[in-house]
Amino acid sequence: MNRLQMHGLAGAVALTALLSPMLANAQEINFTDQEGREVHLAQPAERIVTIPMPMASTVIALDGGTQSLVGLNPVSKTAIMEGILGKIFPEARDVTDKVTAANFVPNVEELAAVNPDLVIQWGGRGGDLVDPITNAGMTAMLILYGTEERTREYMSMTATALGKPERIDALVAWRDRVQHDIEAKAAGIADADRPSVLYLGRALSDLTASGSGNSYNNWYINLVGGQNAAAELEGTKPVNKEQIAEWNPDVILLNAFEPDLGVEWVYKDPILSLTNAAKNHKVYKMPLGGYRWDPPNQESPLTWMWLANLVQPDVFDYDLRAEMKSAYETIYGYQLSEADIDGVLWMDMQGDAAGYDRFKAQ
Amino acid sequence: MTSIDNQLAGTPRQLGIVSRHAAIYIGAMLLLLAMIFAGMCLGRYSVDVPRAMQIIWLSILDPARPLDAIDERIIILVRVPRVLLAAFAGAALAASGAALQGVFRNPLVSPQVLGISQGAAFGGAIAILLGVWGLPLLAIVFFCGLAALALVGFLARIDGRTEIVTVILSGMIVGAMFSALVSLIQFLADPNGPLPAIVYWLMGSFASTTWERAAIAVPGLVIGMVFLWAMRFRLNILSLDEAEARSLGAKPELERWLIFALVALIVGSQVAVSGIVGWIGLVIPHATRLLVGHDHRRLLPVSMLLGAAYLVAVDTIARTATSAEIPLGVLTALVGAPVFAMLLRHHYRERNAA
Repeated sequence: MNRLQMHGLAGAVALTALLSPMLANAQEINFTDQEGREVHLAQPAERIVTIPMPMASTVIALDGGTQSLVGLNPVSKTAIMEGILGKIFPEARDVTDKVTAANFVPNVEELAAVNPDLVIQWGGRGGDLVDPITNAGMTAMLILYGTEERTREYMSMTATALGKPERIDALVAWRDRVQHDIEAKAAGIADADRPSVLYLGRALSDLTASGSGNSYNNWYINLVGGQNAAAELEGTKPVNKEQIAEWNPDVILLNAFEPDLGVEWVYKDPILSLTNAAKNHKVYKMPLGGYRWDPPNQESPLTWMWLANLVQPDVFDYDLRAEMKSAYETIYGYQLSEADIDGVLWMDMQGDAAGYDRFKAQ
Repeated sequence: MTSIDNQLAGTPRQLGIVSRHAAIYIGAMLLLLAMIFAGMCLGRYSVDVPRAMQIIWLSILDPARPLDAIDERIIILVRVPRVLLAAFAGAALAASGAALQGVFRNPLVSPQVLGISQGAAFGGAIAILLGVWGLPLLAIVFFCGLAALALVGFLARIDGRTEIVTVILSGMIVGAMFSALVSLIQFLADPNGPLPAIVYWLMGSFASTTWERAAIAVPGLVIGMVFLWAMRFRLNILSLDEAEARSLGAKPELERWLIFALVALIVGSQVAVSGIVGWIGLVIPHATRLLVGHDHRRLLPVSMLLGAAYLVAVDTIARTATSAEIPLGVLTALVGAPVFAMLLRHHYRERNAA
């Protein structure tokens, strides 16, 4: 049923997308960004630079292509070119990544050279990241990281700035629907039946775990009927293996940020291989789709459904492959092949993990 | 200079000194044993003390026995190598600090002054940036530490000879250069990738210690300590002024560089496995001098014992105080700086009173 609704919304989106150029010229756009600054655009932004990492793929998703993206973070560029977005939008290769250093400090000369209407930048990290942009007379929109609410808000702002508010309605409606569906089904799960789930934000160089507080990982672990094994930590903190043994999580989630990190890292470790998660083969690496599935992005409902099926297999039975196909159709206008899906979900590496047989192609 | 005079044993006063020194040795050794014992029994995973002792005893009787239970693995594979590595690193860092302070006749000198730490830090940062871990990382760190030292030697050698002051200045120059390179690497690193790892590593930690890592670092640490200990008499002579040392038959320049190379070996080995750990080489020799005086024959071994006990204690706090690991460099500085300040004030108050 979800898929049918998605197709309906996709049709509506296509229709309004046809009409919007006629209205565009007369549109003056005003909104308040997440640091409470007034952002004013004489007309919808046609030349956007994204400095925060996940925002490049968000702009591509909301705009339905790379035509408005004129500059991005070098790390976003490698993520795009290495992931499936690079296959869907190979022209992203030509967008410059010289506008910012990886640490979000903008290069004003390079920024001015691409003449952006709007520069999307992190808020809450001090003036050094923002002042160079505004002092050079460019318009900045600041966003804040962390919660689902903030994600929806800055995605909506981006769509507004693009003059395509209708694009975001479908995506927000989808997030809402999936979230409520999961919440309704998970509501009846007793605390004792909620497995403890540990998300490791880094593993190879040093170990960090996501605790409670403003952590998105913590939020979706609780959403799908799990409990955060590291809830006693505030935010993301370094931990040691002895502490993980003490928590003894039922499920271990490995980040998608470290390319060399695979599930065998847990199974080969003398300590971690004795946790419940390893003994029951419930160690999973987060998928890498249009963006990494760990942090909030335009594909987040897929993250929730993937995790819900794995954490509460008796409660949830999403047809993830079908959901992915319809979502990619809506978001990127792209038909996912079976091989694409296997790649995103790391089927080669973790196809044998507990509960993963449900994700296999029929 | 009384400390290096030949002591005539037998007078009552000197008997008193000997027994006082014996008490200090025994005290420092007991302190170290107590810290090692505490380190092996304390941890986030609760194992009660008799069980911990039993596990260690069984593994001493049969080191090759299979470890199946999780508490056995945690004690034998996590805690024991970590505590031992911290002990060796603390001992070696304290000894290298004591030796450098003797050579430079300056109580504020530490491996950082020679640029060795910064060079090693640069090596580690670049290895992490390139995604290199394990043995290659250790090799790069050690090589960069030595390269920094060689550069200092090259810069400080003017007209065929080196003076202490040019060594210190060259060390500062090389250190500043490598610090800038570390900042450059941090600037270039991906905040979602290697950057947090570099920052964490620069703060120092024994969290990823394994038997393999310990086996890589300990030989360098032990060789460094043994040779510094072997040079204890030369250190006493080197801590005299240049002309006096020469008249006593020393070749100050050659011996100085030998000591610098040993310090580079120690710092390189330690930094490679546990990142930057500061303050040990400064605080411990000072505390030890208050106890046993300036004679390197006693200063070196007591510094080693106290340095080992101190670093084991700090590392035990780092991994047990909270469920998150506290970076070691933060703790050694937080504990070290005030202790150092107290020692200094105590020292000068006594001296002024005398």
